[in-house]
Amino acid sequence: MSLLAQSIINGLITGSIYALVAAGYSLIYSTNNFMHFAHGISVVAAGYMVYWLFTVTGTPFYLTCILTIFFSAFFGLAMYRLIYLPLQKRGASNVILLIASIGILIFFQNVIQIIFGSGVKLVGYIEVVSGVTFAGITMTPLQIVILVVSFIIFILLYQFMQKTKLGRNMRAVSNNRELASIVGINHIRVSDYSFLIGSALAGVAGILVALEQNLSPFMGTNLMIKGFTGAVIGGINNVPGSIVGSFVLGMAENLGILVLPSGYKDAIAFSLLFLFLLFKPTGILGKKEGRFDK
Amino acid sequence: MIDVLEIENLCSGYGELNVLKGVNISVGENEIVALIGPNGAGKSTVIKSVFNMADISEGNIKFRGEAINSLKTHEIIKLGISYLNQGKINFSNLSVRENLMIGADQIFASDVAEQGLRQIYDKFPDLLTKENELAYTLSGGQQQMLALGRSLMQRPELLLMDEPSLGLSPKLQQELFETIASLKNDGISLLIVEQNAKKAIEIADRTYLLEDGKVVLEGGKEILDNDAIKNVYLGGRY
Repeated sequence: MSLLAQSIINGLITGSIYALVAAGYSLIYSTNNFMHFAHGISVVAAGYMVYWLFTVTGTPFYLTCILTIFFSAFFGLAMYRLIYLPLQKRGASNVILLIASIGILIFFQNVIQIIFGSGVKLVGYIEVVSGVTFAGITMTPLQIVILVVSFIIFILLYQFMQKTKLGRNMRAVSNNRELASIVGINHIRVSDYSFLIGSALAGVAGILVALEQNLSPFMGTNLMIKGFTGAVIGGINNVPGSIVGSFVLGMAENLGILVLPSGYKDAIAFSLLFLFLLFKPTGILGKKEGRFDK
Repeated sequence: MIDVLEIENLCSGYGELNVLKGVNISVGENEIVALIGPNGAGKSTVIKSVFNMADISEGNIKFRGEAINSLKTHEIIKLGISYLNQGKINFSNLSVRENLMIGADQIFASDVAEQGLRQIYDKFPDLLTKENELAYTLSGGQQQMLALGRSLMQRPELLLMDEPSLGLSPKLQQELFETIASLKNDGISLLIVEQNAKKAIEIADRTYLLEDGKVVLEGGKEILDNDAIKNVYLGGRY
């Protein structure tokens, strides 16, 4: 019983990192309608920023976090303004943008490798201590921080999307870009904000990843695939859906290894991805277009 | 007197495809102008050109005497031109209230925009009862009311409508045309593209018949007697 409960908690922790990646990814996807796979590099770049600022230069941790989130947000915005938008203005299709995003991902993975080397890096701000045990479930302080931080961010993100004018405009652009322009919304401005906010979320994910795992230049691909899978499971066009989907994924991975060897973790993720693409491509919370919606 | 909308020798299309081949159309102050014609004649392209959603190769589009060709789509509304499009006419994932507000609060401060809300709910009481429901739950007629409501929330001087009666039952069409005719009393000038040619001519002050990207006929209600027009509503090819 306690093993099951422990796996569920582990699933929540894994899921919350995936969900942070997926939420930003899905926010950008829904307002821009193309696959920004380079989102993974925003997470990794943020992780290395934490390493450089905090471990190498000795910047205070709170300042490191603030600078990292700003860095990540503007890094994402720069990708949009300097690469995607000029391509769009030349009439590039979404496939071209997808290829460009993979190119950006590979390019910056190598830039990071040149700067920091290929060996793993450790931040080690919160020391690995023996966890707190409650009702047979063990959690380290860091894991509690990860859960709390991500839940606060999801609530804030939801409030932002539902209650603010900008959030509503983002939902409108994601629903119908042409109509949004007609009613007077500048969709390039909305795209700017979606990259800023989505990449800031990647920055938070990067900070948590840097605290929890060893950093390596090529870890972004895996994180991106997991975030993407979470988004597909939950409904790629739907930010709350992508968060739910990521928790389902984290849970499935951790419950799956109760019965399968732990090496099958990724296989579980990909199997779920295929199953959803085949049988429920709209995802858990995604909906088909209504009758009058064509 | 300067026309509200003046389209001069407009040639436009989409990429390589030329749809309009030198169109001249004007809409005067407080005037309802209908644009009719067969499918593919370029009726919708006229409106899309005004909103910079088609590629203009030649000609001029003027609003109150000022050329607006170079404005971006999202800037047009700020001049006082609203566009009721065809197809996906509402944001299906937004509530009725959000759909109404989203037009107005791009132009006015939120409290000013909210004042307009009451007038729209008076005009279309159905929308008030569904205020917090998502737009995709509305019926076809209610969808059309919502889209028209959103356009009116923007307090336009000129309203461009692209086939507003499409997909509505005859009864709802009748109601819609009565509503459209009444907009004139609110001081709004209208350019309406319609497939229901007879109805359009009846409510319009002037009508243009567009064929193959060119205006082939122009006139008032008397053009209902024109042979070319008769084919339109006697089950002819239009």
